[in-house]
Amino acid sequence: MAKAHRNLIRGYAEQLRLFGTPPARFGLLAMILVFLLLPTVVQDDFWLSVLIYVGITAVGAIGLNLLTGYCGQISLGHAFFIGAGAYVTARVGGDLGLPLPVWLLAAAAVGAALGGLIGPFTLRLRGHYLAIVTLGLIFIGEHLWRNLTGLTGGNSGTSVTAGAAIGPVDFGALSIAGESYSRNQGYFWLVWGLVGVIALLAKNLVRTRPGRALQAIRDRDQAAEVIGVRAGRYKIGAFMLSSAIAAMAGALFGSYQQFVSPDEWNLLLSIQYIAIVIVGGLGTIFGSVLGAIFVGALPALIDRYSDAIPGVRTSVGGEGFISVFALNQAIFGLLIVLFLVLEPLGLAGIWLRVKNYFKAWPFSY
Amino acid sequence: MRSTPFRLAAVLAVATLATACGGAGDDGDSGGGTAGEPASTAGFDGSTIRLGVLSPLSGPIAVIGQPLTSGNKVWFDHLNAQGGVAGKYKVELVQEDTQYKPDVTVQQYNKIKGDVVAFTQVLGTAPTLAVLPQLRADRILGAPASLDALWVREDNLLPVGAPYQIQSINAMDHYLGEGGGSPGSTICTMVQDDVYGEAGQQGIDFAAEKYGFTVANTQRFKVNTENYAGQIGALAGAGCEMVFLTATPTDAGKIWGTAAQARFTPKWYAQSPSYVGALAQSPVAPYMRQYVTIVAEGTEWGDESVPGMKDMVSRVAEYAPQQQPDFYFAFGYNQARAMTAVLEQAVEAGDLSRDGVLAASRELGTVSFEGLTGDYRYGPAQDRNPPRTTTLFAVDPAKPFGLATLKYDFTSEAARSFEFRKADI
Repeated sequence: MAKAHRNLIRGYAEQLRLFGTPPARFGLLAMILVFLLLPTVVQDDFWLSVLIYVGITAVGAIGLNLLTGYCGQISLGHAFFIGAGAYVTARVGGDLGLPLPVWLLAAAAVGAALGGLIGPFTLRLRGHYLAIVTLGLIFIGEHLWRNLTGLTGGNSGTSVTAGAAIGPVDFGALSIAGESYSRNQGYFWLVWGLVGVIALLAKNLVRTRPGRALQAIRDRDQAAEVIGVRAGRYKIGAFMLSSAIAAMAGALFGSYQQFVSPDEWNLLLSIQYIAIVIVGGLGTIFGSVLGAIFVGALPALIDRYSDAIPGVRTSVGGEGFISVFALNQAIFGLLIVLFLVLEPLGLAGIWLRVKNYFKAWPFSY
Repeated sequence: MRSTPFRLAAVLAVATLATACGGAGDDGDSGGGTAGEPASTAGFDGSTIRLGVLSPLSGPIAVIGQPLTSGNKVWFDHLNAQGGVAGKYKVELVQEDTQYKPDVTVQQYNKIKGDVVAFTQVLGTAPTLAVLPQLRADRILGAPASLDALWVREDNLLPVGAPYQIQSINAMDHYLGEGGGSPGSTICTMVQDDVYGEAGQQGIDFAAEKYGFTVANTQRFKVNTENYAGQIGALAGAGCEMVFLTATPTDAGKIWGTAAQARFTPKWYAQSPSYVGALAQSPVAPYMRQYVTIVAEGTEWGDESVPGMKDMVSRVAEYAPQQQPDFYFAFGYNQARAMTAVLEQAVEAGDLSRDGVLAASRELGTVSFEGLTGDYRYGPAQDRNPPRTTTLFAVDPAKPFGLATLKYDFTSEAARSFEFRKADI
């Protein structure tokens, strides 16, 4: 008997497999290869630091996508939770000198607790109303960060001296088999390793019962309630989870940058995260990562190669009619418009269509 | 399931491979050469010294970053025309745009740190704080472009000018002595709610203790607030006779505009970054002319009696004729000068490596800025003594930069006694 086609699904369990098909398994292997080898090939501190920031953003975006993309709760308060995570790290990892697993989990716990406090509001509000309420969080947060000087250092900001060591492995000064690696190389592995772990956890969550419940609530919350989904519990839960992940992103941000100030956790940051999940693709974990790469790396790319673009002014008193920053803003804005108009599913949607094309190949329908 | 051990083996093989190839992306310093002939090192190829500039060249703070960088450039153009550092090493600037954002500053720092001997400009308090841990770890010298007192005791930083605290103490001394105020006057402050505003407020609080007055009312505001009617109303309600303001130009213009509309007419003293030349040409100029005093350093633009200003204006005419009169320009010019003093010292010691530059900054004595700002006594960070001098200006649209000297280069007793401590940052 001929072997069944690779796309044939013969059971529920098979449909739920994470890496079921040979191409997917190959993709996984390729990703692991890139993850392990990239920092040894790209030793440039600039590109590594761009990629580290992108990885940190990807963690935060996965959190927001769980809340907005899967559960349908729009939140403008993401920056608040990211800030909270950074300050927890400064105190737990820096002042108390506790190791990485402790400060990372402490940040997540505080994030979850704060999310749990905000969560009940989501029961009564949805859509734009919820967005406005979470907008309030940003301003309350800003006031707190500026005035709780003992915790946050106030306006002067605070240094974050949290170490990045798990047991004997110190990502800040990695040394494997006699070969030593720079801080940027170590942080690349740490951050992207965590992106992998969190993406996997999130993926597992959304393909199982709670994940389906979240999507039911997103699509029609009253109907979901009728069929037995306890919408209230899931909404609060989604908020707590999303905030916990956001706080972890903040923790990584703080420990990498080693300094944070209240000027960073503003509305713009929240909006940037919303742009990331929209450009990446709402309701896809992979999309959050793609969006973070796109939004994080594009400005760096333009900046790096601005010398080669005609008409761009790169220095004071230099030639050109548009600055790198203005060009960046313009391209970024244009791409958001184009994505919303032409590809509402985001980058992940493009990826999905490419995948489906090859799945059905040689048939185009 | 059969393939699991194989996959595991593959992953392990890759992991081993990863550890086998590639080490740290660190740039090694080649250390010192013989005295007089520095060996080539990161940012120095034996003939040209490259210096980093991390400045907001775009966005709202570009009005400060651009003239400041232009100031850096004009000084080094002039220096290069004389042959360069120690007469033989030309200086080249590597400019990167930070947009005034700490995380972008860290990225740009990483981008060029392997390519420069030192950073001759890092603009803004928050961006400087963001790169400070890296400056320490990489043992690089950076010159902050802000007058924050935090910088005085930092080994890796090379500040210029009298810190904001000194400006506000001197302003109070002037108000109480010659400005018609007394310790019994209703004295108020209006400060930006960030680290810059706090520096000004700290100086006022110090002066309050010294001179025995109390601050009757303090209004804080966020950068880019739309409407200042609330704050102005509160200050007017408290009956303020004098208000000390720390702001940046856009906000300061709106604040004075609101005050003028409300017919609120105290004596304003404003920290130097509150002012920009365009304000003297704006509709708010008549109000400013009557009630506002700007607290800054140096002298008015084009003042021939101050040698530093005379030289600077002639160099502007030569190397950047399109440059408008600007105080940030003078700041950048002074910064470049301090960095040149360090480089000369390092070349003399024959060591332009990062450690060599840091050592040179510790061995530096007093550097004179010829009246453009007070002389700074460098040396080891714990012994540094910043200038304590301040110049007060009245707004006068007829002057090139819209400012006329009211009281030149004075130091109050209280400012002399202000102590700079190492902050826990």
